[in-house]
Amino acid sequence: MNIPLRQFWALLSNYLRPQWPKVLLLAVLILSGIGLQLANPQIIRYFIDTAKTDAPLERLLWAGGFFLGGAILIQITTVASTYVGEDIGWTACNQMREDLALHCLRLDMRFHNEHTPGAMIERIDGDVANLAIFFAQFVVRVIGSLLLLFGVLIALAFVDWRISLALAVYAAFALWGLIRMRNIATPFWKASREASADLFGFIEEQLSGTEDIRSSGATSFVMRNLFHFNRLRLAIERKAGVVNTFMVMTWMGLFTLGQMIALGSGAYFYGAGVLTIGTVYLLVSYTDAIFRPLEQITDEIQNLQKAAASIDRIQELFNTPAQIIDGSDGLLQSGALGVAFEQVTFSYQTNAPEPGAEPIHKQILQDLSFSLAAGEVLGLLGRTGSGKTTITRLLFRLYEPQQGQICLGNGATTHDIRAVPLDDLRSKIGIVTQDVQLFKASVRDNLTFFDRTIPDDRILAALEALEMGNWLRALPRGLDTELTSGSAGLSAGEAQLLAFTRVFLHNPGLVILDEASSRLDPATEQRIERAVDTLLHGRTGIIVAHRLATVHRADTILILEQGQIREFGRYGDLVQNPDSRFNQLLQAGMEEVLV
Amino acid sequence: MTTEAMLDDERDDAPRVGIPTWKFIWGTIRFQPVRYLFNNLAMIALMLGWQIPGLVSREFFNNLTQAAPVRFDLWTLLAMLVVSAFVRVGGIFGLIRTNVPYRFMSQTLLQKNMMLQILRQPGAKALPESPGKAIARFREDVNELPTFGLMSNDMVGLLVFSSIALAVMIKVNPTITLVAVLPLLGLVVVANLATQRVERYRKASRAATGAVTGFIAETFGAVQAIKIAGAETRLISHFRSLNERRRVTSLKDRLFEEVLGSIFWNAGNLATGVILLLVAQSLRAGQFSVGDFALFIYYIWFFTELTGFMGFLMARYKQAGVSVARMSRLMSGAPAESLVALGPIYSEGPLPEIAPIIKTANDTVDLIEVKGLTYRHAESTRGIEGISFTMARGSFTVITGRVGAGKTTLLRTLLGLLPAQSGAVSWNGQLVEVPADFFTPPHSAYTAQVPRLFSQTLRENLLLGLPEDSVSIPNAIRSAVLEQDLAGLENGLDTTVGPKGVKLSGGQIQRVAAARMFVRQAELLVFDDLSSALDVETEQELWSRMDSQPSAIVSDSATSGHAQAITRPTILAVSHRRAALRRADQVVVLKEGRIEAIGALDQLLVTSEEMRRLWQSELAAES
Repeated sequence: MNIPLRQFWALLSNYLRPQWPKVLLLAVLILSGIGLQLANPQIIRYFIDTAKTDAPLERLLWAGGFFLGGAILIQITTVASTYVGEDIGWTACNQMREDLALHCLRLDMRFHNEHTPGAMIERIDGDVANLAIFFAQFVVRVIGSLLLLFGVLIALAFVDWRISLALAVYAAFALWGLIRMRNIATPFWKASREASADLFGFIEEQLSGTEDIRSSGATSFVMRNLFHFNRLRLAIERKAGVVNTFMVMTWMGLFTLGQMIALGSGAYFYGAGVLTIGTVYLLVSYTDAIFRPLEQITDEIQNLQKAAASIDRIQELFNTPAQIIDGSDGLLQSGALGVAFEQVTFSYQTNAPEPGAEPIHKQILQDLSFSLAAGEVLGLLGRTGSGKTTITRLLFRLYEPQQGQICLGNGATTHDIRAVPLDDLRSKIGIVTQDVQLFKASVRDNLTFFDRTIPDDRILAALEALEMGNWLRALPRGLDTELTSGSAGLSAGEAQLLAFTRVFLHNPGLVILDEASSRLDPATEQRIERAVDTLLHGRTGIIVAHRLATVHRADTILILEQGQIREFGRYGDLVQNPDSRFNQLLQAGMEEVLV
Repeated sequence: MTTEAMLDDERDDAPRVGIPTWKFIWGTIRFQPVRYLFNNLAMIALMLGWQIPGLVSREFFNNLTQAAPVRFDLWTLLAMLVVSAFVRVGGIFGLIRTNVPYRFMSQTLLQKNMMLQILRQPGAKALPESPGKAIARFREDVNELPTFGLMSNDMVGLLVFSSIALAVMIKVNPTITLVAVLPLLGLVVVANLATQRVERYRKASRAATGAVTGFIAETFGAVQAIKIAGAETRLISHFRSLNERRRVTSLKDRLFEEVLGSIFWNAGNLATGVILLLVAQSLRAGQFSVGDFALFIYYIWFFTELTGFMGFLMARYKQAGVSVARMSRLMSGAPAESLVALGPIYSEGPLPEIAPIIKTANDTVDLIEVKGLTYRHAESTRGIEGISFTMARGSFTVITGRVGAGKTTLLRTLLGLLPAQSGAVSWNGQLVEVPADFFTPPHSAYTAQVPRLFSQTLRENLLLGLPEDSVSIPNAIRSAVLEQDLAGLENGLDTTVGPKGVKLSGGQIQRVAAARMFVRQAELLVFDDLSSALDVETEQELWSRMDSQPSAIVSDSATSGHAQAITRPTILAVSHRRAALRRADQVVVLKEGRIEAIGALDQLLVTSEEMRRLWQSELAAES
């Protein structure tokens, strides 16, 4: 078995170093706890031996008192060392979670497209939690157990080296036997976990598919499968049970063997006059005492394997580099920004596809060039998959084109966006998408994206400007009102208007509007129209349009087809030209042309 | 976020059922009484086995100190240790043999009863909580009742042991026995008082954990928005404050648990100290032997175990009550006792057969009448109000309207997937009593807007257990315009589709669901909006193939001699596509939950403003 102790240390030492006083305290607590556990049987030995002489009763009572005091101290050190250990673990692991989360947030969209939020919880919380458990359990318990084991053997060596040696051999043998048994059991545990995963995966699917099950009349099929998966699980659990019995047998056998060694050698050496009766008692209780650490050590091996896998995954995540390299040259000026695409070619797949998989190398944008003057509004039209959304993503450098360049700027000073620092670039562009992401946090944090430097009066002014003042006043606690995730309790129109407010607050020079395709009620639609006017005032705009009303607003129209320009021109010119594609669209007003 | 707000999120606790928890525990025991009894006997054997080492060590020390005449020599004593080990192994063997089936078969029974009840509810409203939470009832809560049952056996074993121990100790020295043992019983009281606090701390720390994981999910669900806003570091600082709260609450939880635990499980040390003080005098005087002393110390650990276990058991009893409440809430409406209703769980032998769908002459449709159907969603004012229309055999009805007009709600309420608040549906003039049971194959079949497939093979998804020879898969595949897709799949019909069908595209999932519907040859075919995942050409193709879908064949033997006319099936579809609207015999225009207009398309385009608006103003709907 491969124990990644060095990796573990490399990963954790960074996070433990700042807490060294606490770590030191933990070490002191563990050591004193062990000292006390070793001392207590010695007190009993003294007690028994003294009782057999004619020593005064006070001595015995003192010994009893000491024992009681020791017992209380053991409790205190146990509680304190658990607490300090957990505190260290939580502090270190929270720091690790934060570092890991920030690192992942900075990774490219390509990474995120392959990792669901659920998987990220597993990586950032689950794996780190395994590490925390490992830290608390392994470091505190296993090291403690080992020290206790050695302590007992050393203490016995003072009594008689032969007994100590015999017990050392016994301990080594017992440890070997227990670990071996556990290795035999591991595949059964794995199988039983898999059987449970299958069963609950099945149940989860049924619970979210009740509509389909009912309408297909498939209830008896579901019940049959429920019995089937449970039956498989029972069979595996039964097998694992047999293996468990063997484990317990080994455990009992070894324990009894230890007792027999203690009693046999105790009787022999007592008879030979080497040991006092108190020492024989000490021998018996120490033998019992070494069995617990043996058990704990073997128990922790399971955690160790889990932790090893977690450490691997955490390190892999830390070592994943960001593909998009931050720019450092030019800063964009404030105010409306012009946009230029120059011979841009892009496909989502950059790397060679996995062996065996069908090579999908679909070019989303092909040699695309167009420009948009500062302060103008571009209406972007095209079927699903024609590349509209990709254009907006490339502007933010969420992805990098394979060929060509994209420039932003105002007349004299334009920059290739690769040269612009990402923070600056992203602060100068704003976007409202159809899908508004809300956090379970206050209205304020949702609007400012947790930016506490934005004063409330600016937020209020922005909400007022976008006709959301009444909405805010209706909230029970104003800006402090907690929103729930998934925009529950907000109408689709309100969620859109909140997204407008977000953009308005960060005052970009270029606004991208991915218009909602779903129909809203007329009143909300009009509010949104007015909000679009407010937002586009003095800014450059790119609108992915679905509605004729919005298209009317555009200065320039770009119709995309399979990643290429089908038509590009001034709105007025295209409307005048009876042969233009745009004109046909306006005449037909039909979804069939665009979907 | 305030602590109260976090606790609100965790308010998982369902209202308690009016039946004491032990009746449910008894319900699970009654399911496997013999196994339960054997488990009990094995536990008692194990505990008797544990008596021997204590008695051996007493004899051993008495022999050495010659405190009493030698009854057994050293070899006999060592042999007794071996015998004791065998007795214990035997006991444990019996325990494991009975524990495993007892636990898992009880779980299966509870799961079965819950699932049956859930699948009796209207399909679109079957769960009172999210599937993510409901799965915890199937995974964790089912464990509480059998666990308590088994733990009560542990308790019996410990009580048997303690009674023997107590008798032996009293015989040796009653005073010392009482003074050493009685304080331990006080711990049980402490435990009972402490459990409520434990629950409170546990809840707070669970809520803080939920806040952290929820935030991770939100953050990575919105990663693009965060990058675009350049808000990465700001999000992490919010994350830090959630993490910190979790650290504080978890430490509190842990500290309390540890203090309690150490009181219980280390109480043996304290009791040992008390015994030392008590026996000092008599040990010195020789009235109390070293062997007695060793036996007392040995026993005292079992007494602490007993008291600790009692506290633990009380906490688990409460937990079992909470679990029962949660599980019965999931079975909305059914009496709580049905949770432990006895019945077969097919843990061996053949699994229950699934009968083919048999359509008799009585099942064929002539006329469906919908009268005054009303359903209002509890969460909002939306829904449908007083919907009435009729569908004749072989007709094509399209329901259309804006987003939120109530189209899906209408379909679901009609099919009984949502419980109608008023109104009714009749089939050939007969009132449909329980729509949820009636509107299933062979009467009707349904393709939802976002259909669910299950992570099995394509074939299994189409059949859902129907005997394959009773249906025609190729016909269904053809009708659903799936042949080309099927040819592209590596293993054809035996390709696994992945969880929720993720290996297929959205359009493929919808057409597989349509094929699943065609396999069942139902009289009434109901489609929710196909346009979100099908392009215009495919949808058009699907409608035209539907004409040749032989749904109205009556497969009853009594009529099999008659000529079987292939007629167009009766179709009810939600759509806003012109392809569907043009085909429709009647169009139902919904607006804000009510029928705005109803009739043939040409006529509606003249008379209905809303219809014209829907027909004309459609620009692209991009997903």
